[in-house]
Amino acid sequence: MKVVPSRSSEWVKPVMPKKPASAIIEIERVSQVFQTSARKDHVALSDISLTIEEGAFVSILGPSGCGKSTLLYVVGGFVNPTSGSAKIKGRTITGPGPDRGPVFQEFALFPWKTVLGNVMYGPRQQGVRTTEAEAQSRALIEMVGLKGYENFYPKELSGGMKQRVALARTLAYHPEVLLMDEPFGALDAHTRTRLQNDLLNIWERDRKTVLFVTHSVDEAVFLSDKVVMMSKSPGRIREVIDIDLPRPRRRSELLLDPRYQKYVVDIERMFDEVDETGALL
Amino acid sequence: MTAPAALARRAAPVFACIGLLAVWQVASLVLKNDSFPTAIEAIRAIPDILGDKESLINILASLRRMALGFGVAVLVSIPLGLLMGRSRAVAAFFNPLLMVIYPVPKAALMPIIMLWLGVGDITKTLVIFLGVSLPVIYHSFEGAKAVEEKMLWSGAAMGLSPGQRLVRIVLPAALPEILTGCRTGLVLALITMITSEMIARQSGAGNILFNALDMGQYDTVFAMIIIVGAMGICLDAIFERVRARLVRWSEPQFDMPLSFS
Repeated sequence: MKVVPSRSSEWVKPVMPKKPASAIIEIERVSQVFQTSARKDHVALSDISLTIEEGAFVSILGPSGCGKSTLLYVVGGFVNPTSGSAKIKGRTITGPGPDRGPVFQEFALFPWKTVLGNVMYGPRQQGVRTTEAEAQSRALIEMVGLKGYENFYPKELSGGMKQRVALARTLAYHPEVLLMDEPFGALDAHTRTRLQNDLLNIWERDRKTVLFVTHSVDEAVFLSDKVVMMSKSPGRIREVIDIDLPRPRRRSELLLDPRYQKYVVDIERMFDEVDETGALL
Repeated sequence: MTAPAALARRAAPVFACIGLLAVWQVASLVLKNDSFPTAIEAIRAIPDILGDKESLINILASLRRMALGFGVAVLVSIPLGLLMGRSRAVAAFFNPLLMVIYPVPKAALMPIIMLWLGVGDITKTLVIFLGVSLPVIYHSFEGAKAVEEKMLWSGAAMGLSPGQRLVRIVLPAALPEILTGCRTGLVLALITMITSEMIARQSGAGNILFNALDMGQYDTVFAMIIIVGAMGICLDAIFERVRARLVRWSEPQFDMPLSFS
């Protein structure tokens, strides 16, 4: 099934003209095999090739167990692929680096550091002077809506606030690519919606490349320029769908937009198909 | 917390000590045994010990050995435990060795160590070192193992090298667990301090205690037991203060009272 943008999109020009697209991440024939305890190999990723353009917001969508997080970890350099390779700006990825900033579902904040200490950690590690790092970090904390919480410890924050700190902490060392691993997966529906809106606002300012793993169809459509649909057992790319919706996006407008609705319905249908075939295998 | 509840919490340890002494006093009066002096007799003997220069030198010598043994053990055990927790190869190498040493009472090794190193400070300090290091190694090991992978990944993405991750992420993240091990280690240091002086009689608090026992001075024996116990309480209280300061970030945010009346 191919998702074709509805006719009406032809006369709606995107608000911001797209920059000439150049590839920032190239995933070439990546396979990932894990040895399970039963001496049976589990193929998490099978022959994945994907190119991500600079400044694009790309979501990887799929049922649980389709290897979408693994693919993100390969790009992050946290996991070495069994075969194939991933490149950033033409350089083969061999390990983690500050050019790729992860944001995890588990937040992974440093609990012994305050909010400010967490956000300053990256810049300090990069050799930014303390006063400068602090000023930048305070500005970022304000940007993610946590002004006044600088001296709080992570245990004193709610889940949504923790994820805001995690986002600020990653933005603080200016990665070229944001790697978001189901970042809002552990949050309640309301907090999730608010964080999606805020993430879009922040992203629309500087249009950093984002690779965003999720299993929520409307989250993927709402945020992304491109949705990569994966199927499971083994993890493969089923379809890449361009989301041709104008930016800046407002949730209230989008929910009423028939094009948005069609994307969601079409992709949801595809999701169900993918999930069923997976279950049969 | 309400004022009476706070007061009750502060007074509780005092009541516990007074209660214990009262039970002792009654038991001793009932049993009427020569080798079991009353609590009051034992307490009366304390000033004699603490006023005696010789005894004080002995007790200070004990504490010095204990501090040295404890300090060196902590300095060696924490890095070893952390390395074991983050490297399967290191853990696979040291685990069986430690499993052999752990169940052996360290005092049982004393006679052999005495043969090698004599009855002096080195032997006793070494025994204290052995007693302290095992719980500290194990708690550091468990603490390091439990550090969230994603936290280390976050550090790696910021550009921390493996060594920096060990010192700047694994160490602080495992600190609450490490300090639990150190607290056990502190108690074990006190125990091995006394037992080492019991076996290698030469000086120290244990020496005073067992000399008095040999000479049938039971009030001195029990006075020494009180002194050693008080030392334990004081050391633990000091340690707890330091610990609470270091890991305030990990303490639960809400107090869980026994009842919600």
